[in-house]
Amino acid sequence: MLLRWVTAAYLAYLAVPIALLVVGSFGELWLNTLLPTGLTAHWYLDVAADPSFRRAFGASLAVVTLTCAACAAIGLPLAYAVFRADSARVRALARVLYQMPIALPPLVLAFGFILVFSSDTLPWLGSIWLLAAGHVVLALPYFLATVVADMQRLGLRTLEDAAESLGSAGWQRFAHIVLPALSQSILAGLIIVAALSIGEFQFSNLVAGFLNRTYPVVLLQAFYGATGFACAATVVLLALALVAAIAGSVTAGGATRFRTAVA
Amino acid sequence: MTLPAASLKGVTYRYPGTQAGVFDVTMDIAPGELVVCLGPSGCGKTTLLRLIAGFLRPEAGTIRLNGEDVSALPTRVRECGVVFQAYALFPHMRVWENVAYPLRVRDVAPEERRRRAFEMLELVGLTGLAERLPAQLSGGQQQRVALARALVFGPRALLLDEPLSALDAATRVTMRDEVRRIQRSHNIATLLITHDQDEALSLADRIVLLCEGRLVQAGSPQELYDQPADAFVAGFIGRANLLDGKVIDAETVETSIGRLATPRHGRVAGSALKLLVRPERCELANGGGENVFPARVLRDRFFGATRQVEVAAGEGRLEIETAMRDHVAHVRIPREAIQFLNTR
Repeated sequence: MLLRWVTAAYLAYLAVPIALLVVGSFGELWLNTLLPTGLTAHWYLDVAADPSFRRAFGASLAVVTLTCAACAAIGLPLAYAVFRADSARVRALARVLYQMPIALPPLVLAFGFILVFSSDTLPWLGSIWLLAAGHVVLALPYFLATVVADMQRLGLRTLEDAAESLGSAGWQRFAHIVLPALSQSILAGLIIVAALSIGEFQFSNLVAGFLNRTYPVVLLQAFYGATGFACAATVVLLALALVAAIAGSVTAGGATRFRTAVA
Repeated sequence: MTLPAASLKGVTYRYPGTQAGVFDVTMDIAPGELVVCLGPSGCGKTTLLRLIAGFLRPEAGTIRLNGEDVSALPTRVRECGVVFQAYALFPHMRVWENVAYPLRVRDVAPEERRRRAFEMLELVGLTGLAERLPAQLSGGQQQRVALARALVFGPRALLLDEPLSALDAATRVTMRDEVRRIQRSHNIATLLITHDQDEALSLADRIVLLCEGRLVQAGSPQELYDQPADAFVAGFIGRANLLDGKVIDAETVETSIGRLATPRHGRVAGSALKLLVRPERCELANGGGENVFPARVLRDRFFGATRQVEVAAGEGRLEIETAMRDHVAHVRIPREAIQFLNTR
């Protein structure tokens, strides 16, 4: 009974602020009252029409796409190398190294980027590319952890040994066995990466210039304006993150089901 | 003499930085023969299989398959069908696609692949499950798929790495017969790795016993049981009473049980030796006669057809296996039941 109350209280604590945001985004006027007055959808139209928000939305999508592509391109070979390392000590060391950015405050990373890339030799501060590069550093550990764990759970090494004994060459093993067997966890990993990149604020706020501000960075400005507008803009971000999270849990759930029976 | 399907000569491999591995192993597998490699865990059985399959390269010695020296060749071209302990089926491929995979990488036409995969599935009795994913199969069924996949491309040898150890006890016994039947139907040279002596005794044409990376004895199950090379073999295969003894004269040995009349032996008085008496060769007695000793029952276990009794006799202990249900007061060790072992 107590457990149920605790759960219910926690769920309410989670849901109420979000519910208020949604309510606020449809409210005409919200000044010093518990709930807003009037019903309208024009805040959403305003957000959609706002040039800086349109631009930020585009910038965020570009950064997310680049980050995901880079994580897959760098992460997959890296995960494979860590997984296949012969010595257990090398594997443990690699794990510590690639998990380190999780402990790194994005603020520190941002200062580092500002120091390096504000110089005349490397004047790339504020570019989409640099934003994506930072997001890769922050998100890659999560991608690696997901994929390496899946390689271990699958017994990928034995699968490859089996394929090799059956006459499969190196590239065939990669194309026929490694990629398809890992497809679910690669997808799940990329969705985590996308969700992190969409919501990232600390690093982006410092490194983004005025031309390529990402959505969360622009969102902060909205809170100095009309409440309804700010709520609507936040709900858009929330929806975006939610889509990523749901897609992530669905694929991850599918991957687990697919696999528990194997083990 | 026909060429052996697989032949190892002085094969040595040591895991880097350790003393573990296999050392100077020489053995043959004749065409169609099922050889079981038996030994305690960590004795190098799996290493031996991985050397033949090509996952490891020997430091010394040669490995031949059908007469061809493959010691330096990669796994891919050795053409050995390997079945792994954890099956290693490809989780994203349907059952028939798994079986057809060796044909796919050999560029066999798709219809031909499918036809041959279904043929193999019929042999292992799984035609009805061809369209399923491996995860939807039981352990025994997965193992059949793995067998079918390992045989479909007509390998030079079949290598089975503890294929039954992941199965439950009942399935294990059924699969034992299945493995034997399928191996016979293909008449393929087979090496099966196991640590289970029952499995080895019931399956093998020949058993190769390994201990600490070295080949201790090779022979038919009967040979290993009846003429064990040493105390390790005697203790590992079947149940055994191993007695330390001291020679009194040409037909008498002093042991912890008492003074034993033995078959004639050529050892000098005073020398030490080891005796083997199988539990089923010991008899219950009524007192009096040669090699009869008073016995006190320590443990008495009834298995229906047989009964295993552990008794204290003299200063030592004896294990007896008998069908008799009488009270045990004396035990007789027939002179001809006593074997002499080499000590290591």
